[in-house]
Amino acid sequence: MESGLLPSVTRWLDRMLRFWSWAVLRVVAVMLMASLAGAMLMRIAPGFSSDDQELNSGLSAQSIQAIRRAHLMDADIPHFYMRYVTSLVRGDLGTSRSLNQPVKELLRERLPVTLINLSFALAAGWLLGLALAIAAQLWDSRELGFLANGLSGTFISTPAAALAMVFLLLRWPPAFAAALLVFPKIYRYTQNLLQQSSDMPHVLTARAKGAGPWRVLAWHVAPVAFPQLIALVGVSISIGIGVLLPIEVVSDVAGVGQLAWHAAQARDLPLLVNLTMVVTFVTVCATLLSDAAQRGFSRSDA
Amino acid sequence: MKGVRLVAITVLALTAVTILGAHYLAPAGYEQQFRDIPQAAPSVHHLLGTDDLGRDRWARLLYGMRVSLTLAPLAALFTTVLAGLVGGIAGYFGGWTERCCKLLIDLFLSVPWLFLLITVRAVLPLNVSPEASVTVTFALLGLLGWAASARVICAGAKDLMRSEFIWMARASGFSGLKLVRLHLLPNLRGALLAQFWISIPVFIIAEANLGALGLGVAEPLPSLGSLLRELQDAIMLRPEPWRLLPLAVLIVVISSFQVLLNKQEVRS
Repeated sequence: MESGLLPSVTRWLDRMLRFWSWAVLRVVAVMLMASLAGAMLMRIAPGFSSDDQELNSGLSAQSIQAIRRAHLMDADIPHFYMRYVTSLVRGDLGTSRSLNQPVKELLRERLPVTLINLSFALAAGWLLGLALAIAAQLWDSRELGFLANGLSGTFISTPAAALAMVFLLLRWPPAFAAALLVFPKIYRYTQNLLQQSSDMPHVLTARAKGAGPWRVLAWHVAPVAFPQLIALVGVSISIGIGVLLPIEVVSDVAGVGQLAWHAAQARDLPLLVNLTMVVTFVTVCATLLSDAAQRGFSRSDA
Repeated sequence: MKGVRLVAITVLALTAVTILGAHYLAPAGYEQQFRDIPQAAPSVHHLLGTDDLGRDRWARLLYGMRVSLTLAPLAALFTTVLAGLVGGIAGYFGGWTERCCKLLIDLFLSVPWLFLLITVRAVLPLNVSPEASVTVTFALLGLLGWAASARVICAGAKDLMRSEFIWMARASGFSGLKLVRLHLLPNLRGALLAQFWISIPVFIIAEANLGALGLGVAEPLPSLGSLLRELQDAIMLRPEPWRLLPLAVLIVVISSFQVLLNKQEVRS
């Protein structure tokens, strides 16, 4: 027993090391590609080479020439990209042109608001989705199925902005609108997963031996479905962020979504691209963590 | 469930007939203004009343449906072709080509879609005509929405490349385009078709979100998204509930798509 423990721990460590090295490499590669796309977008955006400071009559001809020279240096895309990545690595996200404030500062103000709303939307969306899927699985009622499918069908077909407007009219909390838009994905995926798992031979055997529906669900269906459900966490974060953008705009919530919309309206590309980069980083990390958790649970099951 | 599917098919058929016959069913053009009766209540002449600029709401709804429901399938077709190309190339060649394509797919899947859309939309010039704005909006949807479909196609192509009949075809001298045309594409047709149908409601909703945020189709051209902007005047919704009709139409049409898609998913 003891002689077998060390090699298995070494193998586990080796597997973990390989998984995390690949995962980190993937995150780095995705972020590099995203930053390249972002830098290109900023570079090709109309008005990139102009600067409001050139209109300042107080500046000398030499200062204006210096500003123009700085812009000329940025005209070279590889040079511009290198400078952009270097400042990103240093944690400098640049300055918003429209708000004239550092992006980092804006994020510090807005990110907590979005994170609180996102957490509520995800928690409520998951709770509702799981509860309905489990109820539909346990009771196998036609009416319940119809209600759950009808609800998920309605909310999956409703644009986030429109639902936010209705919530605004009813004076209901906007985060609940986000929860209702996240829930259909959770419900449908969980329901399909539970259905597939409950058709497996060992579950049919357990049923034939007289195990009750709760016992079958808890001991035979859930352990099979659980690791795959974990993978949905990362996806649901991405969905949540996506639906929060229009909801924050319509409901006038001072979060990252509203800031992104403001940046789009004001064509403030540095702010918009950096916001997208930050959101991408959060999403990539969330997906990576949920993948790792899924992997961990699958292995422990095996 | 059979009854629900029948209702969904009827709704979609009616929608198709309505948008095809918009010219005959609408009492006026979508941009024609009745300046003496702005914000009119529904009447025999104006079934849904008129908007702030005196334009007939019913006419705008019909033409808006035509714009959204005609261009969303075109964008879906574009995205399916892109997904087929990237996913097909990744699955066919495998190795480093597959890894690079998957990295690209990961990149597109990692960026929340609406953020990407508004970022790219913000780069485009502001002074575009309504026709150009509608083309740009749906072209962007098609251009940016291919990643999830490409992943499915890549998995399908990879499975096919490992199958025995492809090995046999290769052993018989089939390769390159001939192998793709005669064996790969016919067997991927189902997956491609499914991705096409799945993309349509997704694009209609994305356009609706963009339109409601004022980043979609430019005035005076209507679309289901731009019509939703009227909902922003929340105080007017209680006295004028007919303003909610574009939203109701959107939900009913997308739900009908979803009902039929579920059936197709069960089949596959």
